[in-house]
Amino acid sequence: MNAFARLRAARFALATGIVLRALAWGAVAAITVVVGVALVDVVVPLSLEIRARILGLAVAAGIATIAALAWRDRSVLSAERVALWLEERFPSLEYALVTAVEAGDERFVAGASTDRWISTAQRRAVASLRAPLSALVAATIIILILPSGAVARVRSPRAGDSLDRAGTSRAGRGNRLSPLVAEVAPPAYTGQASTTIDEPADVRALAGSRVTLRGRGSGDGILMVASGDTLQPGTRDDRWSVPFTVGSRPMAVRLSDGTDARIIAVEPIADNAPVVTLVTPPHDSVFRAPVGRIALTADASDDIGLAIGAFEYIVSSGEGETFTFRSGTIGAKRLDAKTATLSASIRLDSLALKPGDILHLRAVARDANDISGPGVGTSETRAIRIARAGEYDSIAVEAAAPSDAEKGMISQRMLIMLAEALQQKRPRLARDTVVRESHSIAADQKKLRRTVGDIVFTRLGGNPSAEETNDEENPQLAKSMTELLARADSATNQSTDPVDFQGGEAPVVAVNKPLLEAYNAMWDAAVNLEQGEPDRALPHMRAALAAIQKARQAERLYLRGAPLPVVIDIDKARLKGKDKGSSSARRSLTVSDSAATARAARFAKIVELSSRDPRAVVDSLLLLRIDALTDAPTFAAALSDAVAALRAGKSDAATSALARARRALAGPAIVQDSLGRWGNAP
Amino acid sequence: MGKRPVSAEFVFATAQYESGDWDSAPLLPANIIDTIARYTEIAVAPTGVIVPLSDDRMLRYPLLYLTGHLPVRFSDAERRNVRLFVERGGMLFVDDHNHDIDGTFHKTATQEITRTVGPLIELPNDHQLYSAFFKFDGPPTTSHELNGWGDNLVHKHLLAVMRGGRIAVLYSSKDYSSEWNYHPDSKRFMSIDNTRFAVNVVVYALSA
Repeated sequence: MNAFARLRAARFALATGIVLRALAWGAVAAITVVVGVALVDVVVPLSLEIRARILGLAVAAGIATIAALAWRDRSVLSAERVALWLEERFPSLEYALVTAVEAGDERFVAGASTDRWISTAQRRAVASLRAPLSALVAATIIILILPSGAVARVRSPRAGDSLDRAGTSRAGRGNRLSPLVAEVAPPAYTGQASTTIDEPADVRALAGSRVTLRGRGSGDGILMVASGDTLQPGTRDDRWSVPFTVGSRPMAVRLSDGTDARIIAVEPIADNAPVVTLVTPPHDSVFRAPVGRIALTADASDDIGLAIGAFEYIVSSGEGETFTFRSGTIGAKRLDAKTATLSASIRLDSLALKPGDILHLRAVARDANDISGPGVGTSETRAIRIARAGEYDSIAVEAAAPSDAEKGMISQRMLIMLAEALQQKRPRLARDTVVRESHSIAADQKKLRRTVGDIVFTRLGGNPSAEETNDEENPQLAKSMTELLARADSATNQSTDPVDFQGGEAPVVAVNKPLLEAYNAMWDAAVNLEQGEPDRALPHMRAALAAIQKARQAERLYLRGAPLPVVIDIDKARLKGKDKGSSSARRSLTVSDSAATARAARFAKIVELSSRDPRAVVDSLLLLRIDALTDAPTFAAALSDAVAALRAGKSDAATSALARARRALAGPAIVQDSLGRWGNAP
Repeated sequence: MGKRPVSAEFVFATAQYESGDWDSAPLLPANIIDTIARYTEIAVAPTGVIVPLSDDRMLRYPLLYLTGHLPVRFSDAERRNVRLFVERGGMLFVDDHNHDIDGTFHKTATQEITRTVGPLIELPNDHQLYSAFFKFDGPPTTSHELNGWGDNLVHKHLLAVMRGGRIAVLYSSKDYSSEWNYHPDSKRFMSIDNTRFAVNVVVYALSA
């Protein structure tokens, strides 16, 4: 082996030593972080969130240490620096090796002794590992000395590992209620995994969930009171545990062990019933004959999961005081998802419907809740009526033809599509072409407007043909148009009450209101189209379509809907001439406030107690919160914040939360614009 | 038609709902108004109103009367308003015009009430309702019950959903809708006014 080869071997030995030393110090740094945090955790319990971040921090510390050391000793890669290092160890070289390396000529060190270069470098590499390895041994010893589970809580933190923590604090010593872990197992039907909560103060869980409280030591002498039942925990492997089931109402679970006690607020989460929407048929209808097939479609969804979906029907026959009913279910389907679409069809022929019969259809879905359910969700009901022979003249029930309103809707939709297409290709068209095509759409829009006007005129008792040939040149007809517009404006802009038989507006105007809105919008659309501005016309056209759609959905005429206008002569009924004095004092009804009053009294007492016994205040607020969860959720939420703040020792936040609770308790300010009739004012 | 202000006088309101024949007793409101005027000093409007349950204006009235023969299925808006109405202290008086315990109105209405407001319970016959104005030993029977029409039963109790100690929903299978559905002038032919119980319902609704 020549001198340069030995130099490279020595450099390799030194580099290896440096890398190994950096790795060892990196490991020491990472382990030190873990051990340090574990030591802190033994004294002061650290939260799961903090511990979960420590592992990443330890790895980062290790990598940073390795990188720093490697950077510091990077000169080992330089042959000149290694040569100088060897010159220092072997002064007899008299800089011949450095000169040889710089000149690249091995002959400068031809006579030098090179045998001990490599061994010297290897010894140096080994020596550099002593310190980090010693530190590693020391860290390992500390790990072994640490209480069982202390390092595991930092290395692999998980919810519920507070039972594994070796407590040294005075408060934790001898108190079997701390640490405390709650394991929440949702009902089996949900298919959800169990969760674990350390030091639970509030447990929010689905109604029917199985909650198991666990603690350290034997369960002898510990008592748990929940919903009036007293339970004693069982013991296994020096751990006590006691299970209970989450009911449908909020409750307080009290744990006691001699003088130690804990209260846990249990807030049930209700499994909501499925939400079902009947998509088809989209609205009620009247059929001339009970033939054909009706397609049924419905959307269903549930917060946990659907189990069964179906359509239900009821056939009601008869009139006046005599009705008979038949019912049944169709399209039942097992579901296993959070959302589903139900579909089926029903043949009217098979139901043996007679004139006057009403078929009520709705969709129903059930969830898999076998604890408090099943939750049943139902859609809105659609009524399909078979017309009686005497009604043929008064209701349009042609088998396939759409009603006028529906025809209008289809045409309006087509016009919108035409206008949109024109607007899209407008940049490529000459202005004359745009105007010509826009005029064409405007003409159709005007025809459609006249049709809608006819419907409205007929219903308002006017002459349908008056609008048929409307032309600005004909003043007589223009008057009709003016009148129609006045009525339209009156109905659509000035009044907002849809149906109130006590007001001045005739019900027939109210029924026609959407069509009048459509008429107005069509008017504006036609004007813009005639000006060759389809983009300006489109919003009006869409408004017209929406109004027609509204009319189609809303129009529902009850032939017997108007009761006879009987007006009672109050004076006559009271035998006129009698001095009736003033009528009895009446006040508007308010929700009974006895519960709120009691709650306010409790709250005041608790606040008063805060200066004397802060710990009792936390428990009292928790109990008050449980009582208020159902009736006063805002108040309960403020109490929850107050409890959290008190536990964290944040006095300002607690004061703020208690102030919010007080405001929630007091309710909104009552403003009266005058003195009450029986007020105490002199 | 302007907006109706919250009135200082009692206005008898009939609830209009989407699914059924809510107007099956058109003469009843006038008859009750006449009765209220005859026996009490309550300031009462001479005509009733019909108010859709889906319309927020239903919240203006302390008492809503609901009847019909056909299935009762509230829409989402109706359900929401009824819930709000009851929470605000209103009283919903539901009467089965079929007077048939197995009838579809009964089944669907009780189902819908339970779903919307809460479960119905039997109202004790010594409840404050029966002494709110006239004294009754329980709900007065109707001729339709006694003549065997409907379910052949004489119902001993009314049903109710209670809220904060008061009646939030009063449910009757007695068919007062048939019993009271006549022109008030016809009362002169009666030895005993059979609408007196309506006074108790109204007085209770206004004072409880």
